[in-house]
Amino acid sequence: MILLALLFVVTAALARSYHAREEELAKVWAERGNKDLSSGKPATALEDYRNSLSYAPDNPDVQLHLAEALLADGRLTEARSYLANLWDHTPGSGKVNLDLARVSMRMGDSDQAVQYFRGAILGSWEGDSAFQRRQARLELSEFLLDKRRLDEAKAVITGIAMDTPSENGPVHEENGHLFLRVGDPVLALAEFESALQTDPHNIEWLKEAAQVAFEDGNYSKAEIYFSRAVQENSTDDLRASLALVRDILRNDPFLPGLSEDEQARRTWLDFQQGLDRLHKCMATGASSSSSSHASTDLDSLAKESQELQKRVNLSSLQSDPELRKEAMQFVSRTEDLTSQICGPPTGIDKALRLLKKQQEVLNP
Amino acid sequence: MSERKSPFDETSANDSNTNSDIHESNGVGFKWLIPIARSFKLSEGNLFLLLAIIIGIFSGMAVVCFRISIEWVRLALLGSALSPLHIRVLLVPAGVGLVVAFLVQKFFLAARGSGVNQTKAAVYVFDGYVPFRTVIGKFLTCSIAIGGGQSLGPEDPSLQMGAGIASAIGRRLKLSRDKLRLLAPVGAAAGLAAAFNAPISAVLFVIEEVIGTWSASALGAIILAAVSSAVVMRSFLGGEPMFRVPAYTLAHPAELIAYAVLGVVSGLLSLAFTKIIVTFRPMLRSLPEWTCYLQPAAAGLLIGLVGLKVPQSLGTGYPYIDQALHSQYTWQILAILGFAKILTTSLSFVSGTPGGMFAPTLFIGAMIGGAIGGLEHQFFPQVSASVAPFALVGMGTFFAGFMRVPITSVFMVVETTGSYSIVLPVMISNTIAYLISRRYQDASLFDILAKQDNMELPSMEEQREQIVLRVEDAFRQPNFPPLQASDTLARAMEVANVSPEDCLLVRFPTGRWAGIARKDLPEIAAKYPKESQLREVLPTARLPILHPDQRLDDALRFIQGHQLLPVIGRAGSRKLEGVISLPDILAAYQKAS
Repeated sequence: MILLALLFVVTAALARSYHAREEELAKVWAERGNKDLSSGKPATALEDYRNSLSYAPDNPDVQLHLAEALLADGRLTEARSYLANLWDHTPGSGKVNLDLARVSMRMGDSDQAVQYFRGAILGSWEGDSAFQRRQARLELSEFLLDKRRLDEAKAVITGIAMDTPSENGPVHEENGHLFLRVGDPVLALAEFESALQTDPHNIEWLKEAAQVAFEDGNYSKAEIYFSRAVQENSTDDLRASLALVRDILRNDPFLPGLSEDEQARRTWLDFQQGLDRLHKCMATGASSSSSSHASTDLDSLAKESQELQKRVNLSSLQSDPELRKEAMQFVSRTEDLTSQICGPPTGIDKALRLLKKQQEVLNP
Repeated sequence: MSERKSPFDETSANDSNTNSDIHESNGVGFKWLIPIARSFKLSEGNLFLLLAIIIGIFSGMAVVCFRISIEWVRLALLGSALSPLHIRVLLVPAGVGLVVAFLVQKFFLAARGSGVNQTKAAVYVFDGYVPFRTVIGKFLTCSIAIGGGQSLGPEDPSLQMGAGIASAIGRRLKLSRDKLRLLAPVGAAAGLAAAFNAPISAVLFVIEEVIGTWSASALGAIILAAVSSAVVMRSFLGGEPMFRVPAYTLAHPAELIAYAVLGVVSGLLSLAFTKIIVTFRPMLRSLPEWTCYLQPAAAGLLIGLVGLKVPQSLGTGYPYIDQALHSQYTWQILAILGFAKILTTSLSFVSGTPGGMFAPTLFIGAMIGGAIGGLEHQFFPQVSASVAPFALVGMGTFFAGFMRVPITSVFMVVETTGSYSIVLPVMISNTIAYLISRRYQDASLFDILAKQDNMELPSMEEQREQIVLRVEDAFRQPNFPPLQASDTLARAMEVANVSPEDCLLVRFPTGRWAGIARKDLPEIAAKYPKESQLREVLPTARLPILHPDQRLDDALRFIQGHQLLPVIGRAGSRKLEGVISLPDILAAYQKAS
């Protein structure tokens, strides 16, 4: 009995000291691995993590770090196998799914990558799960954008936007940029506006909202945001942009709410401006242009102007909406052609050229 | 040995007695068993089971210490990294080779080898006697050798240490020779169960390889010892399975073909591994004796050279099995690891370094299995699953082919991994490997090693497969229907006149049988009237009866003193199936030989 007790004590002491040593070694190697991985030495980190796992094989953090080290070291097949095994045990782990998505992405398996990204988005996360899920969505959207899968990317970004808390302005701003990348300025503007609701005086967001609205041909909104931006920070660029937008709005005969007379008046002025631009270009640009083709186009436009001039006057424009459209189309073509032949327009001509874009937005 | 007095023997005169009469002077150090036996009124059998549990506890703790000491030695000599520094890899296995060789040659000569055959020899040659010095020697030398990077494992030494502890306890209790013989495998199972954290496999291995039979008297004790030992081990080192394995499902029945291929390859490689060992071991043993001091060191140096490129081939290799099971290697690397381990293990073992073959066998099996799986997956991705299940099955398959213990190998995979779902491919693959190994190698590794050591130990494989002759192989139809107890003496004399048998069988209504020798009939007829019924004239002694399924050895025992015995069916009618005589039995044996 004494012998048994003695052996028990010795065994217990040995086991305890060995377990303590194992824990210590597992920790030391894991820390060394973290340091190596963060200092860009994935191959060394890999060995460190393997050493750590030999003392604490079930440590999920180290297992994941090992997979990440494999990934960073470009050992994609091993990383995928290792992660797949982790996935077998924890299919709902957001981190494992995200790493698997990254491996699949790098191995060119797009469908598998998307599947794991979705697993990561729906999976469980430790700590700030909302942030982690957003990061996973962001990575997925980047991946889809790279692959030109714009519709899917837009759906993912829409999901991000829907889950973005209304008070988080910077995130709304990021969402706006993502929508711009999938080619949806309307939703992008909405995100910038959401951002501005949290901080109406943020000059960057005002500029971004104004610019998106401007480029989308939504000059009314562009005017609002440019003017607010100028109020916040009056720079030359901003003032010029605001002036341009205001020129556009002042000369646009098709703005909603204008009377027939006002529409006719604006059309008449635009038409005269177009003629003037055409004649000046014919006088200077045609001679300097080496292209006979351009000269022919200008001649043809000049002939058309002569024909139109016979019909266009203030009273005919007041009574005939179709003639207003025809006259504005002529103006639009003139500004396009002259800008090609005689250089970029300035002042009112620039505004008239941009009017076309507004029409496309308003009457798609 | 025979003069030893056993407490069990003292009570054997009356089995129903308790051990209250165990002699007080028995078992210095184990006196506390006596009051326990008295308090609980334990019978001899139950006390033996209690002893088995005690042996399990001792063995379990010894193996825990052994495993920890191996790890401490490894940490001290090779460091805590899986890939040690090159200088250590090169020098440490050679250095420990020198130390171990000195210890073995000077102090612990019996510690050489794996320990399995030594335990068998203890059971069959040395009456269950394993010197405690061997336990100490095994502990010391194996800790140093395995911890120092020699490519061997701790399981077989644990088996021998368990047997040694059991033997020491038995001797302390002054048990009889028979009991001591029985205790050695009990301790062996306990040692192996603790080393492997696999009590079922330990029990099966001891039955398949050490004692060879499902002896009812030993089975209960072996199981209890293995279980108690495993419980002790788990309480100190944790209850997790030895290997963590990914979940496995059979995706498609065609996948089994891939496992069959694994069985073929593993069978052939296990055969090659066996051939290497049995060829080179006697060659090295035939060298001058002084070289025994240098052989482990030379082997260690070569192992170190291999280890510079493949450090995974040093030591037990368990962490790398885990990595293979988690698909961390490509199939090319797995193949390299498998072949490197074959080389290093062969070097360690044939040089006489003490240590076991279990762990290296599992390592090689896992790597070869993984390599086959990876290769098949590359070319037939639709048929084969990932590498991990192949590594898992490969462990058992190589073990089955190399150790020639097919049942143990199946349970071992299930037990050491805790994964039952893999059992179907394991069974297919193991059987193929086992059959290939048997087809091209007559005797198992342990049998060959025993012969090389000039020991004629019984081959368990041969014993298992020996043809057992039964009564049905020797009995014949009776020439005449048997007489009934109600028949007259006159009828018996009529039959005797025409029957070629020297003995007439008589059936009684109770189902008993009697015999009348032809030569006795005149004497009986002189004493009794001819109308007397046979039940009145026959002696009271009754004939033994045999059944067709009984072993012929039993028939030989029962036939003594009788000319003819009835063979009766076991069904309710108790019909006479035939008769059997001594010449019939001898003829059957002659025919079989």
